[in-house]
Amino acid sequence: MGKHFDQDKVAAAFSTLDVHDYGDVLQCMRCGLCLSSCPTYRTDGVETQSPRGRVAMIKAVIDGKMKASEEFVEHIYHCLDCRNCQSVCPAGVKAGELALEARYRIEQNRRQPLIKKFLLNYAILDQKRLSRLLFPLKLYEISGLQSLVRKYDILNLFSEDLGFMEALAPKLPSRPLSEQIPEEIPAIGPERGRVGFFLGCAMNLIFAETSRATIENLTLAGYRVIVPKEVQCCGTPNIAEGERKVYREMAENTIRIFADRRVDYVVTDCAACGSELKTYREIFQKSPAFAAKAQEFSSKVRDVSEFLDSVLTPNVRFGPISETVCFHDPCHLRHGQRLIFPQRNLLKRIPQLDYRELPDEGQCCGSAGIYNITHRQRSMKILESKIEAIEKTQAKTVVSSNPGCLMQLNYGSGHWKKGWNVIHISEILNRSLIAGQKLD
Amino acid sequence: MKKTFVSKLVEELGSQKVLYSEPDLICYSYDATPLTSFKPDAIVRAFNEEDILKVLQLAAQEDIPVTTRGSGTGLSGGSVPVKGGIVLVTTAMNKIIEIDADDLSVTVEPGVVTSQLHSAVEAMDLFYPPDPGSMKISTIGGNVAENAGGLRGLKYGITGDYVMSLDTFFIDGSKVRYGTKCVKDVAGYNLTKFMVGTEGTIGIFTRIVLKLVPKPKTKKTFLALYDDVIDAARTVSTIISRKVIPSTLELMDQVTINCVEDYSQIGLPRDVAALLLIEADGHPAVVDEEAVVIEEACKANNIRTLRIAKSAQESEELFTARRMALSALARAKPTTILEDITVPRPAIPEMMALIREVTEKCNIRIGTFGHAGDGNLHPTCLTDERDLNEIHRVHEAYDIIFKKAISLGGTISGEHGTGIAKSKYLPQMVGPKAIELMRKIKACFDPTGRLNPGKIFLTEK
Repeated sequence: MGKHFDQDKVAAAFSTLDVHDYGDVLQCMRCGLCLSSCPTYRTDGVETQSPRGRVAMIKAVIDGKMKASEEFVEHIYHCLDCRNCQSVCPAGVKAGELALEARYRIEQNRRQPLIKKFLLNYAILDQKRLSRLLFPLKLYEISGLQSLVRKYDILNLFSEDLGFMEALAPKLPSRPLSEQIPEEIPAIGPERGRVGFFLGCAMNLIFAETSRATIENLTLAGYRVIVPKEVQCCGTPNIAEGERKVYREMAENTIRIFADRRVDYVVTDCAACGSELKTYREIFQKSPAFAAKAQEFSSKVRDVSEFLDSVLTPNVRFGPISETVCFHDPCHLRHGQRLIFPQRNLLKRIPQLDYRELPDEGQCCGSAGIYNITHRQRSMKILESKIEAIEKTQAKTVVSSNPGCLMQLNYGSGHWKKGWNVIHISEILNRSLIAGQKLD
Repeated sequence: MKKTFVSKLVEELGSQKVLYSEPDLICYSYDATPLTSFKPDAIVRAFNEEDILKVLQLAAQEDIPVTTRGSGTGLSGGSVPVKGGIVLVTTAMNKIIEIDADDLSVTVEPGVVTSQLHSAVEAMDLFYPPDPGSMKISTIGGNVAENAGGLRGLKYGITGDYVMSLDTFFIDGSKVRYGTKCVKDVAGYNLTKFMVGTEGTIGIFTRIVLKLVPKPKTKKTFLALYDDVIDAARTVSTIISRKVIPSTLELMDQVTINCVEDYSQIGLPRDVAALLLIEADGHPAVVDEEAVVIEEACKANNIRTLRIAKSAQESEELFTARRMALSALARAKPTTILEDITVPRPAIPEMMALIREVTEKCNIRIGTFGHAGDGNLHPTCLTDERDLNEIHRVHEAYDIIFKKAISLGGTISGEHGTGIAKSKYLPQMVGPKAIELMRKIKACFDPTGRLNPGKIFLTEK
C-alpha cells in the first residue's frame, strides 16, 4: 500500500468525519467490554490493538491531539473488520465500521499503488477477467507442478510468503460455475417463488461445486433459481481497502440487475457478500435517486442458511449423516448480519448428526479477506486459537459458510495435521436433502 | 530527559515490552472513567517480577512516577497516569499459579482476568464470588487494588474478603510477601487487608492468594417489576429485615431498563418504573424457603409482576443484561457520568426519592441502577461533555447526592474507589484528621510520592 501521504491532508479529512453515523465516538465510554472479544487484542494484548484503542486514536486525530502518522494508519489496518466489537458493545459504538470509514479517508489522500488500482478498479469489475487471472494457478495445478511443489516444499525455499499462499490455494474447478449452468434453473416440485442467486466471486471461481449444491438446495426447497451471470463483485474488498467510487458503481449495477429479474429474494452462500449486499441500503441512504431501490434490494437479501431455515417446512425430509461436526461462524454472518441460529437450526435437523458448539463465542479465524496475506503472523496466531477451539469440540467435520474461512480453516487443518473435513454448509445440507428425498 | 529515559527502558527491557509512540501514549491515557485522560511518557508491559523491579529501579534513578494498570476498566481513574511517567501494565502476568482444591484457595498473578478465574475454579466445583460488572476483562490485580465489589456483594462480600496473601513491590524496589493460606492468621498488623483497596498508591501486587468457597448447589432467579421505584427500594429493606440475604439483589430504573433493552432485546418491559433482579443460591431446601420470603416481600410492596427464570440460560441473560447496564446507558447521550454512593439499606427509599428530586431540580437526566441489596447505587448522569452548562448542573446534582449519602450514614464510594474524581469529597466524608493519617501512611511507603500520584488526596496547587 502506498506509504507516502500528506499527514495534514489526512488529518483534515478526519476533522469532517460525521461520527454520528458510527455511534458518536463520544458515545464510547471506554468501558473495555470490547477488549475480550477483539481478536487482535487477544493476540497482541495491547490497547492499540483494541476497538476501544482504535476509537480513541481516531478521536485524537479528529480533535487534533494526534498526527495522522504512518503508525496511526497501520493501526487502522490492523483491524480485521470482524465486527465482534459491534456485537458486544452495549453503547452501540460501531468501532469496526469506524475503522473502515477511517481507511476511506486515508486512501482518498494518498497515492494508490498500481497493483491496487488494477485489482480494485479494474480486475474486480468482471468475473471473467478475474477468472483469467486465476488461469496461471489452474495451469500450475493441472500441469502437475503443484503436487511436485507441495511434495518438496519448493516455494518455501524462495519465500515463506509464497509458500504460504501456495498452501492456501484450493483446488480450482475446471470452469467457473457461471460457465457451467443455465441462467434459470426450475424448482423441483411445485414452484413457491423466484430466488435470485448472487454469484460471489470466490464462490463462482473457486468453490463452484459448493454453489452448485446451494442452487440445488434452493430448487429442492421449491424455488426457481435465477442466476444473473453479469453480476460484479459485491464490493467487500473495495470497502476493506478504503475504495468507494468503484464500489458504488458495482453496487448500483447489482441492484439494477436483480430489479430487472423480478425476484422475490436474493440469496447468497458467501457470508461476506451477504453482509455487504445488506449494507447497500445504508450506503445509498442519502442518495435521493437510489435510496428506495437500494432499500428494496437489501431487504430481499438472505444468507443461504437464513433463507433455508425459514422456508424448509417441517415436512421436508433430511437424510441421516453420522458425523461429529461444529460450525465456525463467519464474522460477516454472526457479527455482520447478526445471524447465529439459522445455521445451527439447519444442522440440528440432520438426523444422527452430532453437532458440537465451538466454545469461542464467534471468534474470527484470521482469514478476514486478505488479512492472512497482509498481516500473516497475527492471522496465524488467531487461526491457532481457532484450531484449539475446534479441537475441543472433537468434531471431524468443520462446517462454515464463507470462502475465506473455508480456505483458512482448510489450511489450518493441514498445517496442524488435524485431517478435518472443512466444508460449506450447503454441501452437508445437500447430502442430507438428497438422502432425504430417497427416504420418500 | 524523557527520551534518554525511554531509551534506557528499552535497553533494559527490550523493545517488545516498552511502548512510547504517540498512538501508544493516547491508548494508555485513559481507563473507563469519564472525562479523564492523561498521557504517560512510556508504557511497560511486565511479563515477570524481574521486569517490575527493573522499571522501579530505573524510575527511582530518574525520579519518575509509576502507575500500575490492568485492563483499564476502573471507574475512578485509578490507572490513569495523572503526572505522566510510566504506566506499568500487568496484563501479561496472567498465570493461575495454583488452585488448591483441598484447602480452598487459588494463587494467581495479577493479570488474570476475573471471569477466567471464575471458569477455572468453577470447573472444580469451587467458587470465587466477587463479580464486578467488568469481570469479563478486568484483572484480579485491579480488583484487589480497587477492592472491587459486584453483584454478589451482599451475601458473599467483596474482593477484600477473599484476599489471603499478597506479594507486593514498593516504589523503592523492595518486596514483601504478607499473609498466608491459613484461615486464621493474626501475626502482626494485617498488612494484607490494608493493602487491598489502596488504589495502586502503596504497592504493586505480583502474586495474589484468594480464598475460595464451595460452589452453591443451586440457584433461583427472580425478576420483580414495579410501577414505582420507591416500592422497589422498599422491597429491598423488607427482604433484608425478614432475615433473608439473597446472593443478588439488583435494582434498575426505567431509564436504565430501556437502554439495556435497546441493546440486549431480551424482552424487558419498557413501561415499568423499576425492576429488581433477585437471586437466591445455596442448598435447594434453603433456596426454596428463601424464595417464599422473597415472594412475600415483593407482594407486600405493590409489585406488578414477579417472574421466575425458567432456565439457567434465562437467568444468565438477565444477569448479562444487568452487567451491561452502565455501558448500555452510554447509548442515550454522548457522555455518561456515574457515581457510586452507598447508604444503609433502610435509607434506600429516601435516597431514591432524593435522586428523583435532584433530577428535576437540576434539569438533568439520571438513570439509576445498582446493587440495592447492599445499599450501593449508581445514579448515572446522561449528558454531553460539550455542554458546559449542563456539566455544571451535573456536578451540582452530585454535590447534593453526596451530601445526602453522607448525612444518611452512607459513603461516597461503595466499590469504584476515590481515585481522581472523588478526592474532593473525601475530606467531607472522613474529616481532616483521617486525611492527615492517610497521608502519613502513604509517606511511609512512598516518601517522594511517585507511585500513582494524584489519587485519593486532593493535590495542592
